[in-house]
Amino acid sequence: MDLKICHLYPEVLNLYGDRGNIRCLENRLKWRGIDCTVTGVGIGSGESLKDYDLFFIGGGQDFEQEVLLEDLKRGMGNEIRSAAEDGKTFLCICGGYQMMGHYYQTHDGVKCEFLGIVDFYTEGSKTRMIGNYAFRLGEESGASTVVGFENHSGKTWLGSGVKPLGTVIKGFGNNGEDKTEGVRFRNIFGSYSHGPILPKNPELCDFILKTALERKYGSAELLPLSDGFETLAHESVLSRIVSA
Amino acid sequence: MSKPNILQTVAAVAACKATRTGLRLAKKGGTALPGKAARVFAKNILEVTSEGMEIIVVTGTNGKTTTCRMLEHALTSSGRECLSNKSGANLLSGVTAEITCNATITGRPKTHYAVIECDEGALRHVVPLIHPKVIVVTNLFRDQLDRYGEITHTLNAIREGISKVPDAVLCLNADESLTASLAQDMPNKVLWYGIDTPVGEQKDAEISDAKYCIRCGNEYQYEYHTYAHLGGFFCPSCGYKRAKPDVAVTDFVHMGPRGTDVRMRLPEGGAKEGGTESAKAPAGKEQEVHIALPAVYNTYNAAAAICAYSAFGLPREEILSSLANVHSSFGRMETFRPGKCDVQMILVKNPAGCNQALSYLADMEETFDAVFCLNDRTADGHDISWIWDADYEKVCGCGRLRHIYVSGDRAEDMQLRLKYAGAKEESVTLIKDNAKLLEIMKASDVPVFVLPNYTSMLALRDVLAQATGTQAFWKG
Repeated sequence: MDLKICHLYPEVLNLYGDRGNIRCLENRLKWRGIDCTVTGVGIGSGESLKDYDLFFIGGGQDFEQEVLLEDLKRGMGNEIRSAAEDGKTFLCICGGYQMMGHYYQTHDGVKCEFLGIVDFYTEGSKTRMIGNYAFRLGEESGASTVVGFENHSGKTWLGSGVKPLGTVIKGFGNNGEDKTEGVRFRNIFGSYSHGPILPKNPELCDFILKTALERKYGSAELLPLSDGFETLAHESVLSRIVSA
Repeated sequence: MSKPNILQTVAAVAACKATRTGLRLAKKGGTALPGKAARVFAKNILEVTSEGMEIIVVTGTNGKTTTCRMLEHALTSSGRECLSNKSGANLLSGVTAEITCNATITGRPKTHYAVIECDEGALRHVVPLIHPKVIVVTNLFRDQLDRYGEITHTLNAIREGISKVPDAVLCLNADESLTASLAQDMPNKVLWYGIDTPVGEQKDAEISDAKYCIRCGNEYQYEYHTYAHLGGFFCPSCGYKRAKPDVAVTDFVHMGPRGTDVRMRLPEGGAKEGGTESAKAPAGKEQEVHIALPAVYNTYNAAAAICAYSAFGLPREEILSSLANVHSSFGRMETFRPGKCDVQMILVKNPAGCNQALSYLADMEETFDAVFCLNDRTADGHDISWIWDADYEKVCGCGRLRHIYVSGDRAEDMQLRLKYAGAKEESVTLIKDNAKLLEIMKASDVPVFVLPNYTSMLALRDVLAQATGTQAFWKG
């Protein structure tokens, strides 16, 4: 078995240690003897995405966003859409997550059109939602607990037919109001969680890997790994979050 | 802003001094609270207590404290009295405390010179009150994004500060594209410093804080790199490029753990007019300079200090000779000897600085132990995910790292990061108790390098200082 991992726009979408997610996906496959390759696909590559199995899209800084939106319009947007419709697995964080929705509207009314692959939209607010937070994944994403760090001013509102990735235990999540966090649609996992999200939440990482392997090979069993450091890191943050 | 009257001034100065005395009697550092107390009586007391002083302000992400230390050392070793906020309290309240505590009761400064480290976000509040003669901007890197927001927000905050003091001479890092852009559309005189030559491995950093042109958005190209996104950058699209520095390192003669010998090109005269105009090479002379602090980033700090000293109008020989015997400031490559072997503490607060410290460790020729401490308190930034942007891989894989200790509020996160960097689980020990860490350092038969972030450094330094009879940080 092997997985072809695509890191989209690594040169701009690389905030807050998000490359740790790539390391995590890669290592948890290798530690089990499963092959994988990671390819960075940057702005202006014009590359086809059809051979990849698993995509990672991270968060970036606003001032670099314009360059990126132009590239999406030049054809990369359609490549991403086809891959998503084809059932390929996506992990999208923060700005990368927002990009999968319809649009982002700033608090003074400027609207930025996004891919519209998933039915949700994001509205800017004046206050930033910042801090360690925790949420419980929905049944369809493995039902484990996730800890992370959120830092966003956009409030995301999911369409009626779309499920969140999880339910907020403590923190803000999508919008600070409806207790939803992230999105789960087809094989797309979207979240606001930096941290990076995967190393401290190995169950979520394995769930995502399993999703990608099953899509490719029909079925997949992942051998257990020794997650001592992972569990310690997860639990120490979780107890700080819950007691804060 | 209105200046305080004499009654307000006397009350503010008295409040400042009384608060500091009280805190010191209680064995507390008291670096910001006295400033807050003073400002209760006179909000702009700093404008009075700094009046007539000649001041250099240093701001930027990394290197502020060390650059200040170099400048202060040059001033004092040439017999000039000088104030500085050594403790690192670099917000408006901390600067107010430092300067106001040193004034007479009627608010007149007792010292003529000051070297002030200033937080990037606080610059716009501090400089309109103290009217610095020179402002140094060291560099901009991603740092505490949860507090400052994006790097361009920090840049804009600095720009706003500078715009309030058009008479101040700017000393800017020519090799750093974000900082260098501050020269644009500013009436201030500019002096540039930089490194003309490549250093170390020449490759594009995997993560760059400034990959795209700040003016036009196209990708920069580089003639050479020094570290991180610093080097001979140019934009092939709009023509924005590195300015030719007035103070330039032209060659590295020797780099060792005790310091760096470089050749430098130095200007003949003072600052010149205008913004980015610098195509004409300043007709300077070359000279060998010894910098008694190791690593490339300290070479930048030294160049910044020389540049600022020149802009300040004092004899350059003073700083050139004092750099040869400058000591590090607290927690910045500060060495202790609690037992048989040296313990060196290197403060790391963000990926760029951390990578520099890790390269320094990876270049060690002897076996060593390392201690990585990570807190996530307000002064550190609550977001610790930057540890994944720093290349711990290069030290975990270097072969001379014997054992690793992790400590601090987020030691567990650091431990997991190191597993991904290639550390074997059995070579990492988690110890949160600083007293126990001290025992390990005392007993160590190899040098120990401690890389803490800010508040974890303060706590562990306290323990080490007590054990070795070193001064408290606020006496530094």
